[in-house]
Amino acid sequence: MSEPETDAEGTDEAVSSPTPGSNIAGASGPESGPLIEEPIIQSKDISVFYGDEQALQEITMDIPEKQVTALIGPSGCGKSTFLRCVNRMNDLITSARVEGELYFGGKNVYDDDVDPVALRRKIGMVFQQPNPFPKSIRDNVAYGLDIQEFDGDVDARVEEALKGAALWDEVKDQLDESGLELSGGQQQRLCIARAIAPDPEVVLMDEPASALDPVATSQIEDLIADISEEYTVIIVTHNMQQAARISDKTGVFLTGGELVEFDDTQKIFENPDHQRVEDYITGKFG
Amino acid sequence: MPRNEYQSQLADLRADVLDMSETVAERLEMALEALETGDADLAQQVIDGDDEINQQYLDLEKQCTDLIALQQPVAGDLRFIAASFKIITDLERIADLATNLGEYATDGETNIFPEIDIQELGDVTLEMLADAMAAYAEDDSQQCYAVDERDDHLDDLCEIASDTVVRELIESDELDADEDIETFMEDVSRFLLTIRDIERIGDHSVNIAARALYMIDNNDELIY
Repeated sequence: MSEPETDAEGTDEAVSSPTPGSNIAGASGPESGPLIEEPIIQSKDISVFYGDEQALQEITMDIPEKQVTALIGPSGCGKSTFLRCVNRMNDLITSARVEGELYFGGKNVYDDDVDPVALRRKIGMVFQQPNPFPKSIRDNVAYGLDIQEFDGDVDARVEEALKGAALWDEVKDQLDESGLELSGGQQQRLCIARAIAPDPEVVLMDEPASALDPVATSQIEDLIADISEEYTVIIVTHNMQQAARISDKTGVFLTGGELVEFDDTQKIFENPDHQRVEDYITGKFG
Repeated sequence: MPRNEYQSQLADLRADVLDMSETVAERLEMALEALETGDADLAQQVIDGDDEINQQYLDLEKQCTDLIALQQPVAGDLRFIAASFKIITDLERIADLATNLGEYATDGETNIFPEIDIQELGDVTLEMLADAMAAYAEDDSQQCYAVDERDDHLDDLCEIASDTVVRELIESDELDADEDIETFMEDVSRFLLTIRDIERIGDHSVNIAARALYMIDNNDELIY
């Protein structure tokens, strides 16, 4: 595994930089790390504690850019906890404490100068239950743009995001209707449109299809494949076949918050190195 | 252990494939004995029994496709099922070749070249088949390589046997009547086909060992 390159020279202003992970530091902080093509995210010995209980054990993992990385494992193994480390959602849990380093585009997101809100603009998130706001379809998608005081053509960006989420054709004539009136699958695609509208670099998905029927699930899976051409996707799923179908890399977390194996998805599902992983994915354990 | 029903189905598949291999080995042994003794009844039992083996094959094929469709096997389980799927095809082909040997035994003289020990060749194939199936049953990768090496020895024996037949044919001066020649040529042709079929049984045993090695170690080195 390559070391994060944090010691290269920065520049004075990150806003215009195309560097992955740029512009996540607060206004007074130093510039983010240097340009690296991949991995876009490097976790180095990340541990998470909830009070005295350790939920993640020194997770080290390189996540490649513009690919789908799936995190699988039994309930309580820490995969969602890891996901929340990536965009510092764990900051919102008062008992949570994070140790280690997590680099996004070469910048440690846990540095003091990183603004979590700016970070989350670069790393969007989609949750298990579709959670559109009680607003119109257009306002749902534009929500993130409003937050970041986007001064471009909002309607064009909304259309682009809805097209990116494969929802445009179904809702283009009802943009002013409530997002809550859509079906479950449409609501989840609306949430994906909302997540990609601010043009993030990474989209985190925490079991995005587990509440959907098979048709809506397959639409979300197709969509994940499509958006991975533009964005890095990290998805937590309980559905191992889903991980096998849609991901390029798979990380297997097992009980105790341990990342036991991380490799190409094909390798994991055809010939994993670890017997515990083999036992888990073949159903002998877990 | 979770997925008890699934684990039970995997165990059943392994047991049923081994059961099929025992039937096939038994038929091969009977066919070789029929070739040696000229026992037409024994040969006919082999010929008549081929339908039973074909049915075993079809039943096992369905077991494999059902497991893939309904259980979505992965990793070692997937390799086991994929290997089993291929192995039953080779077993079915060996049974077809054993049927051929049975037919040769009923068609006429099988001992026209006494200096060629068909039983020795047959015994090698029986051992190769048994070793290949033992590798599958016991996850023994070394046994797979041993079967592959043994096939070279069998090929040599078969080549020597075929060369001997051709040499005998060229040097033969005992035939004078046309009908003797015709009968002799049929016997020779059958004898050469016997050697060829035995050599092919060896090849199918290597195929089984190759699939077993893939199953055990995810190693495709012996596949072609």
